[in-house]
Amino acid sequence: MLDYARGFGILVGFHLLGMLLHRLGVPIPGGVLGLMAFYLAMTAGLIKLKWVERAAGLLLRHMVLLFVPLTVGLMEMGAVLSRQALAIAASLLVSLAAVLLTTGLLGRWLLPAEPLLAAAPPSESVEVSQ
Amino acid sequence: MNRFQWVTQNPAVSIAFTVLAYSLAIALHRRWRIVPPILVACVPIVAALLWLHEPYAEYNRGGSYLTWMLGPATVALGVPMHRHGMALRRSLPRLALVVLAGSIIGMVTAGLTAWLLGAPLAVVVSTVPKSVTTPIAIEVCRELHGIPQITIAMVILAGVLGASFGPPLLRLAGVRDDRAIGAAMGTAAHGIGTASLVRHSEMQASVSAWAMAAAGIFTSLLAALLALFLR
Repeated sequence: MLDYARGFGILVGFHLLGMLLHRLGVPIPGGVLGLMAFYLAMTAGLIKLKWVERAAGLLLRHMVLLFVPLTVGLMEMGAVLSRQALAIAASLLVSLAAVLLTTGLLGRWLLPAEPLLAAAPPSESVEVSQ
Repeated sequence: MNRFQWVTQNPAVSIAFTVLAYSLAIALHRRWRIVPPILVACVPIVAALLWLHEPYAEYNRGGSYLTWMLGPATVALGVPMHRHGMALRRSLPRLALVVLAGSIIGMVTAGLTAWLLGAPLAVVVSTVPKSVTTPIAIEVCRELHGIPQITIAMVILAGVLGASFGPPLLRLAGVRDDRAIGAAMGTAAHGIGTASLVRHSEMQASVSAWAMAAAGIFTSLLAALLALFLR
C-alpha cells in the first residue's frame, strides 16, 4: 500500500512539475514535460525503478478506465462530429494506414534482426486488464 | 430533476459506476477478444444517463477525477520507456528514427486529408495529433487551438481500428518482424494498440510501449513548431 502511495506521489509530483514548466511558457504539454523529466531522472538514476513500478503498472494497466469519461462525452458531440464527418473519417483512415505502413516497413528495413530484447525483464507495466 | 438525483449528484457514484462498467467490459473482452473494452464500457453509462435524463456534465463531476489521472498516467509511460529502452539500447537511435518518421507522416497525412476535403482550420489542426495517446493528444490539440472532442474521437477510433486491423494490414504488407510490428502499432494506435499486443508477443508489446511514449513526445515537439508556424 505504502509502495503504491510513494509511486503515485512521485508520478503526481512530476506531472505538477511539467504543468509548472508549461505555465512558465514552455510550449509543450505539461504531461509530456513531466514524462520527459521523469524519464531523464530515471535514466540518471535519481528515481529507482522499484519506487514507481507498481503504481505506474496499475495506472497503465487500467489506462482504458481513465479514457471512459471522455469517451462518454462524445455523446454530446454528435453535431460537431457529424458536420465534418467525411473529412474526419477520411483523415483518420488515410493517416492510420499511412502511419502503420510507413513505420512497419521502415522498421522492417532499419531495425536489426537479432533478438535485442532477450534481456528485457517481465513487463508488468504494459499488461492491460490485469 | 429526477428522483435519483441524491444518487447521481454524488461524484463517487459516477466513479463507482464507471469502474463497474469497465470491469464488465474487461470481463467480456477476456471472453471475446474482438470486443473493444473502451466502447463496451461506455454503453451502460450512456444508457444510464439517457434513461435518467442526466446531463453529461453531471456525470463528469465524478468522471473528471478519472480524466485528471491521465496526467500522472502520461508520466507513468516513463516506466516502460525506461525499462524497454534499457533492453533496446543498441537499436534505440534507429527505433527513434522510425517512430519520428511515422509521427511526421501521421501528422501530415491527417491534416492534409482533412484540409483537402475542405475542413476548416480548427478541424484540420484537431486531426493532427490523432495517432498519439489520449492525454498527450488532447494537450497538443489545445496548443494548436483545435477542438478536443474531435481529437478524442479520432484517437480512440485510431486505437480501436489500429488494434483490430493493424496486425492484418501489416501482415498483408509483408511486415512480420516483431520489432517492426511493435513500432508500427505503438506509433499508430498508442495504448489501445499496445494493449492488444500484450497477449501475442512480449517483444511486440515492449517495442510498442516505447514507440507509443516516444511518438507522444515527438508529436508534442513537432506540434510546438507547427504552432509557431501557424501564428
